[in-house]
Amino acid sequence: MTALVIIEGVVILLLAILVVGLLRSHADVLRALHELGVNPHERTPLGGAAGNFEIATRPGVPEPRAHADLGAHDIAGSTIDGGSAVVSVAGVDHTTLIAFLSSGCSTCADFWAAFEHGEADQIPGVSTRLVVVTQGPELESVSTLAELAAPGLTTVMSSEAWDDYGVPVSPYFVLVDGPSGRVAGEGAASSWPQVLDLLRKAVADGGMDLRPRRTRREFLTGSQREERADRELATAGIHPGHASLYPETLDDVEGDGDDD
Amino acid sequence: MSTNIESFGISVEVPDGWNGQIFRRPGDAGAQPQAVDEGDSSTFPVVHVGNFWLPAVRGDFGSGAVEQMSHDDVLVCLLEYEPEAASTALFAHEGIPRFTAGDFDPRTMQRSVAGMAGAQAFFRVNGRAFCVYAVVGSYARRSHLAPSVNRVLEGIEIG
Repeated sequence: MTALVIIEGVVILLLAILVVGLLRSHADVLRALHELGVNPHERTPLGGAAGNFEIATRPGVPEPRAHADLGAHDIAGSTIDGGSAVVSVAGVDHTTLIAFLSSGCSTCADFWAAFEHGEADQIPGVSTRLVVVTQGPELESVSTLAELAAPGLTTVMSSEAWDDYGVPVSPYFVLVDGPSGRVAGEGAASSWPQVLDLLRKAVADGGMDLRPRRTRREFLTGSQREERADRELATAGIHPGHASLYPETLDDVEGDGDDD
Repeated sequence: MSTNIESFGISVEVPDGWNGQIFRRPGDAGAQPQAVDEGDSSTFPVVHVGNFWLPAVRGDFGSGAVEQMSHDDVLVCLLEYEPEAASTALFAHEGIPRFTAGDFDPRTMQRSVAGMAGAQAFFRVNGRAFCVYAVVGSYARRSHLAPSVNRVLEGIEIG
């Protein structure tokens, strides 16, 4: 009984020390916030010199969007051939990477070249689609775009889309999660590998499902099934030419059963 | 809700969540379909509207996209022909047609894909000749999918 009382006393003492430590830590945080000009109880910045500080990005780094609107907008505009197009990115079953490029910016040239060389096909996950969006024809050189845009690239000219997404600079990339219709990530990048790296992180952070959607042809022809069967047979030690693949009698087929 | 796209005298209401494009093949920029001379290499406007992702490279009748369709998908293709064709018997039907489930047939597919079905009709509007070709991802579900095709057709206006 005495031992229990002693143990209980020790536990209470440890808890008391823990509470005191937390209160001190809390006081330190409040003091630091106060020195920065923030009064958490009033939820407004304090006046004075300390209250005039501003958070800013480093020079050369684009500012984040002023009013972050995380809702995605479908893209509608004209096409390089003089036609028009609408690309749905919200409420769809795939992820869309929107690349805001220009015909004039030098950094964009690297991306145009990368896409021409088929690097857009290496986007993580088969279910991620790429759409290149430039400003409208009134702000772009359509003839230059016709030379830059690869035939296999979905390219839409839409100043409205630039406004919808508040694009601060080009090149700029926005990743849209189709099922939720929300922007999963966005930012500027100077090279395509950098975009891919950011994309992988955004996908991992967001827990997004980028598993490939099986097409009807794949489902019907069973092209994936054949590969899977080969893989499972190899795992079981059955390779091309294995005797079990060429039974000559029913006993060969039912050999295992006979053994039992 | 829908988004309107308009080019070459054709206006299309694309339903929300769908993709659509009005285009012409390279080499014919600037030529209005009505003004194309005989012997001109220009092609005529093509409209593609689908409730799935449309790959950038597609044939006029949707090849390249049809292969990507699942059983709930629908693709509507509208193709214009030379104005002279509008006076032929093939294009005698006036106005944009509608399809019933019975119009869809696997044998109407431009390129046969198991399980899918297509429907095709020729017509004219304002002296312009057109063909509309629609594909449903599932022949078994054609009754369910045909109204989606007609919804797109109802949203097309030809000037």
